[in-house]
Amino acid sequence: MKINHPKPTLFLTQSTSQTLETVAEIWSEGRRQKLPRYLFLALCFNLVVAPMVYAASGSELSRPQAWALGLLGLGTVALAIYLFFVMFVPERF
Amino acid sequence: MKTDSSPSLRSPSGPRDARKHTPKVDRSGLYQRAIRESFVKLDPRIVVRNPVMFVVWLGTLVTLLVTINPSLFGPIQESIGKQRLLNGIITLVLFFTVLFANFAEAVAEGRGKAQADALRSTRSDTVARKILPDGSIQEVNSTELRRGDQVRVVAGDMIPADGEVIQGLGSVDESAITGESAPVLKQPGTDIASSVTGGTRLLSDELTLRITSDPGQGFIDRMIALVEGAERSKTPNEIALTVLLAVLTLVFLIVVATVPSIAHYIAGFLDTALGPDVGNTFRSGSSIAILISLLVALIPTTIGGLLSAIGIAGMDRVAQFNVIATSGRAVEACGDVNTLVLDKTGTITLGNRLADEFIPVNGHTVESMAKVCLAASLFDETPEGRSIVQLAQSLGATLDDLGANGAEGIEFSARTRMSGTDFNGQEYRKGAVDAIKGFVRSRGGQVSPALDQAYEGVSRLGGTPLGVCKDNDIYGVIYLKDIVKPGLKERFDQLRRMGVKTIMLTGDNRITASVIAREAGVDDFIAEATPEDKIDVIRREQSQGKLVAMTGDGTNDAPALAQANVGLAMNSGTQAAKEAANMVDLDSDPTKLIDLVTIGKQLLITRGALTTFSVANDIAKYFAIIPTIFAAAGIGALNIMGLRSAQSAIVSALIYNALIIPALIPLALKGVQFRPLTADQLLQRNILIYGVGGVIAPFIAIKLIDMILPLA
Repeated sequence: MKINHPKPTLFLTQSTSQTLETVAEIWSEGRRQKLPRYLFLALCFNLVVAPMVYAASGSELSRPQAWALGLLGLGTVALAIYLFFVMFVPERF
Repeated sequence: MKTDSSPSLRSPSGPRDARKHTPKVDRSGLYQRAIRESFVKLDPRIVVRNPVMFVVWLGTLVTLLVTINPSLFGPIQESIGKQRLLNGIITLVLFFTVLFANFAEAVAEGRGKAQADALRSTRSDTVARKILPDGSIQEVNSTELRRGDQVRVVAGDMIPADGEVIQGLGSVDESAITGESAPVLKQPGTDIASSVTGGTRLLSDELTLRITSDPGQGFIDRMIALVEGAERSKTPNEIALTVLLAVLTLVFLIVVATVPSIAHYIAGFLDTALGPDVGNTFRSGSSIAILISLLVALIPTTIGGLLSAIGIAGMDRVAQFNVIATSGRAVEACGDVNTLVLDKTGTITLGNRLADEFIPVNGHTVESMAKVCLAASLFDETPEGRSIVQLAQSLGATLDDLGANGAEGIEFSARTRMSGTDFNGQEYRKGAVDAIKGFVRSRGGQVSPALDQAYEGVSRLGGTPLGVCKDNDIYGVIYLKDIVKPGLKERFDQLRRMGVKTIMLTGDNRITASVIAREAGVDDFIAEATPEDKIDVIRREQSQGKLVAMTGDGTNDAPALAQANVGLAMNSGTQAAKEAANMVDLDSDPTKLIDLVTIGKQLLITRGALTTFSVANDIAKYFAIIPTIFAAAGIGALNIMGLRSAQSAIVSALIYNALIIPALIPLALKGVQFRPLTADQLLQRNILIYGVGGVIAPFIAIKLIDMILPLA
């Protein structure tokens, strides 16, 4: 009796195409919905900021506190950018 | 010799304050709806449109996080329980600050929506009798009617859509939109009386209408959209204030964001200089919840929370006056108006000019002149024309004497400035005396000096003289009497004190115009004005940088209404006038323009007063919070209110900050009491009451709250 296994190459191709489709869908959704994209970018950027906060605070802050504080700092900068936006395009608010 | 007033024209009855919009505005449940709406408005997509409140909203979110986990952003100096309690109270107070601001806006919007609902109740679908091209009648739903369709309406029917009377004569009950119970006569051919509004009811006879608007674009539909605020956009002053609020918020955000760095620097310095842990109070002063409290206390939350409510309430006040403004910009422009261009007839004078006396010349008797006057006015359907007919008939003139079979009417025009009748080969004319002189001369007749004497005599009495002739023979002068509306002189005096110039426009001669102008107390007048003069005078004033307001009702007023910064069209006016204007008066009372200037000024004053109050509040809040949280830096002496602790000071300032918003809602909705003062006097008064008051009131209120609060 001979068992037919799917060809490994074909399986990989299908899996890759599914992944690509998912990535493409996330990308198109990300372009459509701005808030999740900005949140994602902020979280990514915080990977750079949080260690800097942690290093600067000495032993005062724990890693999660540094991460939260980094995110709060980014939020404050975002709020300042939003207020600048209000100043330049006030009729939209 | 007096005559009765014409029944065809209706003027609003009773004093203005006593008049109400007839579709009863149901305001029951307004506050329940507003409370519900204020929670709906917590949606970040809605809050983000109010920059100041969005900052408070974000602050609430962050303080909520530090309530759940007080050490989220760093170690805390107090015990966890105590810190959590403080953070929780701060979160609650900030939440209510946003909620109260939403409530203020929701109440203002709710009043507009209640009015829109009342209007919507008048707009029910009806069955219309549509006239098909072959002349047959088809019953269709009113929503199926399109612009250009013709319909027949009989007594008792609801008028299915906005339209123009092309045939028939009937009285219409317009109380659904104007609040006036007196029916209005509608007939074709006249600029004013031929337009009808969908939703009103025909009380008598039968009318054939040409529909002038597609479904959903009728007058009531537009009114609903406007009072609901669906088309509300920011006014220039609101935009300027939004920028100011954003700048202030940004400045305080930067200040507060840099406080922790400075506090830590000073705390480290104190530790080194005075011993370990001395700077701890400084460190606790820069906890996230306290920093957010400081930020919220410093940013202008009062005006940020009330700004849109003030604007909406301004529109609502205009609507309560039975005036529909197309935008808040128009209402605001009313407050900035420098020049009012007013028609004499109907605006400054009562408008129902009636023939009071016939003054014969050239040896004619009053009786013979009455016959000529009757003949010249046979086709004149204006109130003046009818009053001439009545006066002539009261003097014994009858149509039978004339034998006017086959007579042809000559319509009045701005060019000829006269009207009349032709029959039996004879030309009967009445009109401006100059025009009559020209007509008589063109027919080879002579003009006697007695005519000029009669003309001047009538003019000096403030009346309008109308010349009357038959062919080349002048018969005399008709004295049309008009009366200046009572109380107008005082109103014009008030406007003058506010720096508003009034210009009266009239087709009358210079003598009459000057008499009326002096009697009414207007600043300037233009006599023998043509419709083109209206637009010229507006352009001239605007070229000097002034804002001009005017009223109008006819199609020939439309260009001037569009050119003016504030154009108030009468509801009884033509569709063209209503579309060109940025306001429509449902009562068709041109004098209301003066009230609108008052409302516009009141709107601007209210906004200015509350902004002054809001910014002045900062001083007390600053003195409440800063000295207590940074007392270790030796600034405890600045705690002039003697607040018990840092926690109590912060919470007291925030509670005051939240409570002042609902406390000022009545003032924002009702508006600051208007006083006819100059701009400088108003500024001084505002600074004294709302500036100094805004500094003192929070000192007292924060101290009282601090005494009541159980926080040690």
